[in-house]
Amino acid sequence: MSEMANMDPEGIDGVRMSWNSWPRTKVEASKCVIPLAACISPIRHHPDIQTLPYAPLRCKTCASPLNCFARVDFTAKIWICPFCFQRNHFPPHYGMISETNLPAELYPQFTTVQYTLPNPSINPQMGVDPNASPALSPSPVFVFVLDTCMIEEEFDYVRSAMKRAIGLLPENALVGFVSFGTQAHVHELGFSDMSKVFVFRGTKEVTKDQVMEQLGLTVPGRRGPAASAAYQQKGMMPNGFPSSGVTRFLLPASDCEFTLNSLLDELQTDQWPVQPGTRASRCTGVALSVAAGLLGACLPGTGARIITLVGGPCTEGPGTIISKDLSDPVRSHKDLDKDAAPYFKKAVKFYDGLAKQLVSQGHVLDVFASALDQVGVAEMKVAVERTGGLAVLAESFGHSVFKDSFKRVFEDGEHSLGLCFNGTLEVNCSKDIKIQGIIGPCTSMEKKGPNVADTVIGEGNTSAWKMCGLDKSTCLTVFFDLSSTDRSNTPGTVNPQLYLQFLTSYQTPEGQSLLRVTTVTRQWVDSTVSSEELVQGFDQETAAVVMGRLASLKMEIEEGFDATRWLDRNLIRLCSKFGDYRKDDPSSFTLNPCFSLFPQFMFNLRRSQFVQVFNNSPDETAYFRMLLNKENITNAAVMLQPSLISYSFNTLPQPALLDVASIAADRILLLDSYFSVVIFHGMTIAQWRNMGYQNQTEHQAFAQLLQAPQDDAQMIIRERFPVPRLVVCDQHGSQARFLLAKLNPSATYNNAHEMAAGSDVIFTDDVSLQVFFEHLQRLAVQS
Amino acid sequence: MAAPVPPGAPRQQPPTGPPPNFQQNPNALADNFQNMNLNRPPSSNTRQPPFGQPPPFSSSAPASQRPGPFPPGAVPRPASGPPTPTLPPNMAPGRPSGAPFGQPPPFGSRPPPPGAFPSSMPPSAGSPPYGAPPPGARPSPVNMMPSGAPSGFISNGPPAPTFQGGQRFAPPGSSQQQAPMGAPPAMGPPGRAPPQAGAMHPFMGSPGAGASQVPPPSGMNQVAPTFGGPPQAMSGSVVSPYAPQMSSQPGVPPMPGSMPPPRMYGMPPPMQNQMTAISPVIGQTGGTQPGASKIDPNQIPRPIPSSSVILHDTRQGNQANPPPPATSDYIVRDTGNCSPRYMRCTINQIPCTADLLTTSGMQLALLVQPLALPHPSEEPIQIVDFGEGGPVRCSRCKGYINPFMKFIDQGRRFICNLCGFTDETPRDYHCNLGPDGRRRDADERPELCRGTVEFVATKEYMVREPMPAVYFFLIDVSMNAIQTGATAAACSSINQVIADLPEGPRTMVGIATFDSTIHFYNLKRVLQQPQMLIVPDVQDVYTPLQTDVIVPVSECRQHLELLLESIPTMFENTRTSESAFGAAIKAAFLAMKSTGGKLMVFQSVLPSIGLGALAAREAEGRSNISAGDKEAHKLLQPADKTLKDMAVEFAEYQVCVDVFITTKTYVDIASISVIPKVTGGQVYYYHPFSVVLDSVKLYNDLRWNVSRPQGFEAVMRVRCSQGIQVQEYHGNFCKRIPTDVDLPGIDCDKAIMVTLKHDDKLQDGAECAFQCALLYTTVYGERRIRVTTLSLPCTSNLSNLFRMADLDTQFVCFLKQAAREIPITPPLHVREQVTNFCINILLSYRKFCATVSSSGQLILPEALKLLPLYTLALIKSAGLRIEGKIDDRSFWINYVSSVSTPSAIPLVYPRMIAVHDLDTQEVNGSIVPAPLPLSSEHVSDEGIYLLENGQDCLIYVGNSVNPDILQQSLGVPSADQGGAEFNLQQYDNPLSKKLNEVINEIRRQRCSFLRLRLCRKGEQSGMAFFSYLIEDKVPTGGLSYVEFLVHIHRQIQMKMSS
Repeated sequence: MSEMANMDPEGIDGVRMSWNSWPRTKVEASKCVIPLAACISPIRHHPDIQTLPYAPLRCKTCASPLNCFARVDFTAKIWICPFCFQRNHFPPHYGMISETNLPAELYPQFTTVQYTLPNPSINPQMGVDPNASPALSPSPVFVFVLDTCMIEEEFDYVRSAMKRAIGLLPENALVGFVSFGTQAHVHELGFSDMSKVFVFRGTKEVTKDQVMEQLGLTVPGRRGPAASAAYQQKGMMPNGFPSSGVTRFLLPASDCEFTLNSLLDELQTDQWPVQPGTRASRCTGVALSVAAGLLGACLPGTGARIITLVGGPCTEGPGTIISKDLSDPVRSHKDLDKDAAPYFKKAVKFYDGLAKQLVSQGHVLDVFASALDQVGVAEMKVAVERTGGLAVLAESFGHSVFKDSFKRVFEDGEHSLGLCFNGTLEVNCSKDIKIQGIIGPCTSMEKKGPNVADTVIGEGNTSAWKMCGLDKSTCLTVFFDLSSTDRSNTPGTVNPQLYLQFLTSYQTPEGQSLLRVTTVTRQWVDSTVSSEELVQGFDQETAAVVMGRLASLKMEIEEGFDATRWLDRNLIRLCSKFGDYRKDDPSSFTLNPCFSLFPQFMFNLRRSQFVQVFNNSPDETAYFRMLLNKENITNAAVMLQPSLISYSFNTLPQPALLDVASIAADRILLLDSYFSVVIFHGMTIAQWRNMGYQNQTEHQAFAQLLQAPQDDAQMIIRERFPVPRLVVCDQHGSQARFLLAKLNPSATYNNAHEMAAGSDVIFTDDVSLQVFFEHLQRLAVQS
Repeated sequence: MAAPVPPGAPRQQPPTGPPPNFQQNPNALADNFQNMNLNRPPSSNTRQPPFGQPPPFSSSAPASQRPGPFPPGAVPRPASGPPTPTLPPNMAPGRPSGAPFGQPPPFGSRPPPPGAFPSSMPPSAGSPPYGAPPPGARPSPVNMMPSGAPSGFISNGPPAPTFQGGQRFAPPGSSQQQAPMGAPPAMGPPGRAPPQAGAMHPFMGSPGAGASQVPPPSGMNQVAPTFGGPPQAMSGSVVSPYAPQMSSQPGVPPMPGSMPPPRMYGMPPPMQNQMTAISPVIGQTGGTQPGASKIDPNQIPRPIPSSSVILHDTRQGNQANPPPPATSDYIVRDTGNCSPRYMRCTINQIPCTADLLTTSGMQLALLVQPLALPHPSEEPIQIVDFGEGGPVRCSRCKGYINPFMKFIDQGRRFICNLCGFTDETPRDYHCNLGPDGRRRDADERPELCRGTVEFVATKEYMVREPMPAVYFFLIDVSMNAIQTGATAAACSSINQVIADLPEGPRTMVGIATFDSTIHFYNLKRVLQQPQMLIVPDVQDVYTPLQTDVIVPVSECRQHLELLLESIPTMFENTRTSESAFGAAIKAAFLAMKSTGGKLMVFQSVLPSIGLGALAAREAEGRSNISAGDKEAHKLLQPADKTLKDMAVEFAEYQVCVDVFITTKTYVDIASISVIPKVTGGQVYYYHPFSVVLDSVKLYNDLRWNVSRPQGFEAVMRVRCSQGIQVQEYHGNFCKRIPTDVDLPGIDCDKAIMVTLKHDDKLQDGAECAFQCALLYTTVYGERRIRVTTLSLPCTSNLSNLFRMADLDTQFVCFLKQAAREIPITPPLHVREQVTNFCINILLSYRKFCATVSSSGQLILPEALKLLPLYTLALIKSAGLRIEGKIDDRSFWINYVSSVSTPSAIPLVYPRMIAVHDLDTQEVNGSIVPAPLPLSSEHVSDEGIYLLENGQDCLIYVGNSVNPDILQQSLGVPSADQGGAEFNLQQYDNPLSKKLNEVINEIRRQRCSFLRLRLCRKGEQSGMAFFSYLIEDKVPTGGLSYVEFLVHIHRQIQMKMSS
C-alpha cells in the first residue's frame, strides 16, 4: 500500500484487476484460486479524460463504441470492432479521418473517453414511461426523510444539520420533506396558507399507487379530473413537469428555504406517547415507501435522492426490525445465525421491494443513522446498496462523523462527492469471457446475452447494471469467468489480447448526460506453458480486496458459510500453486514477491470486522460491508489492513509494522483503519503533553511532533466519506483499544516476559502473524 | 402564510349578512335559554325573571296577580277532567254569544282559580254529573260519562275540552242538571237513531238527502236554538256528523245560559270569535258539498290553545294531579311527583291489568325528557349530596330514595315503592316519623318531597374521571360545500359559537375539514399558526395526532379564529367534489376516543368515497316508486350496516354526533341519520340550503346546540313498581344491555319513549311508581344522577282510563311508533295502522263507555277528542307523504324519534296565524295570536298567513293583499315581487314590529330558529304551504277532516256491528 502511495495504479481507466494476465481456460482459471475480477471506478475523476461533444460511434452488431483498439482501415474508411470483429463503415461525418487526423477516441492513450449525450433518457428498458420522463430536468432532487422520535437534544442537532444542508443546496435543487414517527408526514411545501401535512399511518404498508392517489397525484384523465386539477395546471405550465406534485411537494430550494426553515423550527418530536419500558414507535418503512411513492409520482426517471435521517429502529409497520418492548434486544449476529430474529427476513423483503421500486424510478436512498443502538441498517442495506446510496452510521447527530459527512454530501467544489444520478454500466467483452456479476452498489438490469455466465456472483445474470446513484469514489467489482468450451484453447487461432469495455452512462448533478467508455485490453497467457506471466500479472491488493468482498458476500448469502476456513483454504491453495517449496518441507517455502503481501492481507482480513462479525452489530457489519464494496481498492485495502505511521523525534514519520511491537513510549502512532483514525500517544509522550511541555518555547519540537499526526489525520479525514471517527488516545488509556484491536498480537500475556520495556501487550488468544505464517507454510507444502 | 385577516380586525358577524331583524338580537333566543342553563354552576344560577311572565308559584293567588291572563281556556285544560259543571260550553257558549268568553266578568266571578283548579274536580262536584255520578252507575265519575266523549265531540267546536265532556255526558238520568239540558234529548237521539244512520251515510260519501235531517237529533236541535240565530249554520253543520251523539247526550244541550258560573271556566277561548265569524262562510261551502253540508267544520274538535300560563301542582291532596297539556304554557310546582316536563305517562291512571289496557286500545308508555327545559319561574331542581355514601337506594332493585318510599318502624326501615322490599334505613339517614306517618324531615329533604332531584354521584358511579366537555367540529369543504357557501356559513357559525362554549379549562375543541381526504388541524399554542394534517387514506382511517388536535379552548382561541376565517378561502378553488363523510367522522372519532365528546359535522353532499360511502340510490328509488315498487320505502332504511356499526362504537366511547346537513341535493339522510340516532345526537337539515336564508339559522341552531342544558356520557334507566315493567325504549341512544340506555349526549330537547307492559296485576287504588334515573356528566365535569319519580294511581275502571288519558302523550307515542314503522312497512299499511289505532280506541270507548248512545253517533272521549284530527294530520305528515322527497321523509322520521311531546304536536299539527292584521288583532295576553284551523277556507287571498311547525315557518302571501300591508310587514311592494330568498326585516311601523315580535316569540317557544320561507299562490312554495293545511281534502286521495271523521265513524260502526 504505502509503496503504491505515489502511483496511480488505476490510471486513466480506473480499472484494476486481480489478474492482469488471464489464463486461457476455465480450468486454468480455477487453478488460479483468486477469481478473475476487475474493479472499476466508473466515474472517477482523471485529468486526462477527454469529453467529446458528440455521440459515440457504435459497432453495428455488438453496439460497442469505437475505441482505440479497433483496427482502422483509413482508406476504406472502415473499422473493425475488437469484440465481434465486425467491419463497420465510418459514417460521413468521420470522412475526414486519416492516420494523422484521428478522433480522440482513437488516440491510443485515450483508452477512456467521455461522450456527452443529448438526452438523459437512454434507458428505455427502465420501464419508465418515455413520455413521463422529463425532457429536461436540470435540477437535482432531494427528499429529506426525517425521524422525529428522538430526544430534544438530538433533534436539535439534526434539525440544524438539515438547515445547514438546505442552505448549501443549489438554488434550483428541488426539495421535498417527509418527517416520521408513529406516522409518516409528507409536508406540502407549496401550500402557502398554512403548514400542510399529509399523514400516513405507520402501521400500514402503502403501495406506490396508494401514495399517489392519497396525495392527490393521480394523473388527470386516468382517474378522473377530480383531484386538484387546479394544481395540475399551475404545475404543468411553467416547468413542463409531468405532475402537479412538483409544485406541491417539491419546490426549488430557493423558494422553500424559508418555509422549510420555519417548518423545522416548529417541528416537534413525535407527539405520540411512548409508554415506559417501550421503544418509540417509528415507521421508517412507511416513511420511505411514501417518499419513494412521492418521487415516483412526481419525477420518475429523474435523478433524485431520498435522504433519510434516522435515530432509532423501525418499530412500526413494514420494515419493523424489533418489537416495541425494550426488554426485547435488537437482533445480534448470533440471533441472525440462529434464526432468532423474527423481524429480520420480513424487513429485508420489504426493503428489497422498496429497492426494486426505487431502481425502476431511478432514485437513490441515502441513510444517515445516528443512534447508540441499531437502527436497522442491516435490513436497509439492500435498498441503499442497490440504489447506490450513501450510508453513514454514527452514534449521535451531534457527532462529527454525522455532521461533517452530512455536510459533505451537499458541498460543492473540490471536496464534493460528485454525486451523479441515473447511471448504467454495460460491459462488453471478448468472446469466451463470461460475466458472473458485480459486487458493489448497483442493480442487475437482467440484460441477458452470450457473455452472461450461468454462475452468478452478486448482481448477475446481466451485462448491464443500473446505478441510480454513483459518485467519484464508486467502485464496482466485476467477476468474470471463462467459457468452458475448448475452442479457444486451440493455439494460434486466437487473438492474444482480450478486450473489456465498460460503458457508463450517467447524469451529472448539473443535469448533463455523459457516457464514459473505457476499453481495456489484457493478455491471454497459456498458464499450462508458463505461469511466469500470470504471476507477474497478479495484483495482490486487488486480489485481497476481491477476496474480502467475496467472503463478505458469501457470509451474507450462504448459510453456515465459514469465512475463515474458506479464506484459509484458498490461501493455502494459492500458496501451494504459486509458492516455491519442496514438498513437505515448510522451511523451504518461499513466495514470489508478487504474492508476498497477500498472506498478510489474508491474515488481517481474517481478523477484520468483515469476517469476525461477532464483535459488531449487524448494522455495523452491514455498514462496513457497504463501504468495502463501494470504495476503491486502495481504500478497501486500508479497511482490510489498516496503515500505521509512527512519529518520533529525529525521524520523519514512517510506516510502522502493524504490530504491537510498534508501540513505544516515546512514539506517536497514527492508525488509519478507514472507519476510524487513531492517534496514539506513547506513555512518555502523553506524560509530557500532560505536563504542557508543548506550550514551552524551548520544546517547540515536541509541539511539532504532537501536531504532525493531527495534521495528517485531518488530511485523511478530509479526503474521506463518510468522515472517519477520530480517536485520540494515550497508551494504556481506555480508547487505546481502537489501536490494539488492529495490531498483530505478536506480544500477548503468553509471552509478555519477552517484551522490551515501554512496549505493550495485547490480551488475546488470537494467533499472531508469525504463528499464522508457520501454519501456512506447513500446510502449503503438504502433499 | 400570514393570516388572511389581521388579528385585531373586527370580526364580522354572520358573514352573509343576516337579516337585519335578526341582527338586532341574534341571540335573543339563546340568551333566554342560557338563563335556564341547568349546567351552569350554581352561582350563576340566579334565575332571571321569566320572559316577563307572571311570577312563580309563590304567589298563592294567581288569579289576583294576573289580571286578565287567566283565560278560562287555560284553566280548563288543567282541570281537564273534572269540572263537570262546565257546560257543553264548548259550543254553545261561545257561539251564541261572543261575549261570554271574551268577557272578563265571568272570570272574575269565577271561583278561586288557584284552589279551583287543583281541586277542580271536587269543586265542580256541584255539578251533578261529576261528583254525583254513582260509581256504580257510571264507572268513572265525570269522565266516564260517556257523555264526556260526545261532549268532546261537541266541544270540539271551540270550547274548553274537558268540562263539556262531563256535562254532556251526564247521563240523562244521572244528573239533574243534565236533565235540564236534555235529558229527554238523550232519549231522543236514540229514537232518531235510524234517521241518523241515514245521516251518516252522507258522510260516507253519499250525500244522502237525509243527512241534513239527520243531524238534528233532538238534543242538537235544542242546542242550536239555544245558541241563537247564528247557530243555525253551526247547529246544522255540526250536528250532522256528530250531532247524533251530541244530541243523544243529554248533557249537550245545556245552554250557555243555563251554565253555572263554574262552567265559565271551561269557556271557550277566543277561538270562538273566529269560529263564529267564519261559520257563515263555511256554511256556504258546506252547502256546496252535499255530503258535508251537515257538518259544520267549525264545530268539529280542534285544539284550543291556551294563551295564559297555567299553574300546576304535581300532586294535590296526596293524589297525582293530571298534568296540563304538553303544548300549553304552564308552571309546575313539584309537590311530590315530577314535573310533567320530565316525565309524563300516556294515561294518568294505570290500568290494573293488561287486559284492561288492551281493551282500551290505548298505549301505556312514558315519555321521558330528563333534562327538559324548565319554565323560568319554576323552582330549580335541588341538588342533594349524600357525601361519600352516595344516595340512599333500595338494596334490591337499586331504586333511588323518593317521596313514595314508605318509612316504617319509627323510620328504621323503609319499603321500596318500586319493588316492595323492606330495607334498613342507613344509620345516618334515620329520622323519626311524625304522627302522619311521614318522616319529620320529609319537607326539608328534597329527595323526600320532590319528584325530581339531582344527586351528586360518588366514585362508585364513575368508571373514570368525568369527561371534559369536548367539542369537535367537522366541516365539509368539498367543492359543492364551498360553492354553496355552506362551508363559510359553518365556519362563521362556529367562530361565533366558540364564545358560547362552557367556560373553563375543561372545555376542549378540535376542528377538522374533509373532502376526499380528511384535514385535521394542530392547534397547539406553540405553533405560530395552525398546522394542517391530512389523513388521505379514507378506506382505513386514523387520527394524525394523539394530542393537539383537541386542545383546551382557552389555549387555542386565536388559532381557532384564524383557522375558521381562512378555511373558506383556503379551499376556495378546490375541485374536489368527493366527500368522505364516513371516514371523516371515524377519524374524528378516533381523535376523540380517549375522552368522548360532541362531534358536530357539517355535511353538504352525499358521502361518496371512503369508509361508509353511499350510493345515490334516490334516483333508482324514484323510478321504483313510479313503477309502483312495493319496496320503495326501503330507501328510508340505512343503506348498509357500516355506519350503524361505527355509531355503536362511537357510543361506546361516549362520542355524540350531531349532523348539520346543508345541502341542495340528496344526501341519504336515512343512512347518515343512524349515527346521530345511536349516539344521542341530532340531525339538522337545511334543504335547499341557501346562504341568505340559512346562515343565521345555522348559527342559532349551533349556538343552542352547545349552550342548551345538556349532559355527557349518560346512562338512563327507568324502574317501575311491581306489576309493570319496561318493555322497550325508543329514542336516540345506544342500547347495549336490556335495562339501560347509553346516551353519549343528552340534552333538554331530547325525549325518550318508554313503553310499558304488565307482568302482574295491580291493585285498584294503589299507586304505581315510575322512576327514571339519569346518570350523566355536566358540561362542567360534575357527575350527577337526576332522579325523576312519578307515582300514579291504579284503576280497574276503563272509563277512568279514558278520562285520564293524556292526549298529547298518547298521540306522540303513535307518532313515534309510526315513524319507526315507515321505513319497514309500505306507507299505506302505516296509514292504516295509524288509523286503526285511533279507531280502536274510539271503538273501545264507544263499546264500553258510551254504550248508551246510538250507533249513529260518533262519540269521542273528551280527553281524546282531538285524536282523529291528530291522526289525520299524522297521515298527511311529511313522513308519510309518498310523493315527498326521500330525504325530507328520512329527516322527519329521524326528528320524530327523539322529539319531545311539546315539539311533536306542532310538527304534525302546525300552527297557522294570520299576520296581516296583527296590529289590529285583539290581544289577549299572549303575543302570538290565536291560531286558525288548518284549512284553506281560513286562508283568504287578502291575507298574509304564517304557518310554523317548530322547524319551518312559511309566510303565505295571498294574491290580493293590500300592497300597503305587504310593504309594511314584509317590505315587499307586491305579492309577486321579492325573491325566493326572503329576509324578514323590522321596519318602523307597528305591523312590522308586531310581526317580528310574534316570530321571535314563536322562536322562543320552540327553542328553534325557524326557517322563514315566503310562499305565494300558484308557485311551488304555495303548494308547500297548502300541503300543511291538513284539514283540506288532498286531490291525491287525502281525506278532509270531515271526511275522515266520517270514515272513522263508519269503521267503528262496522266493528260494532260485527
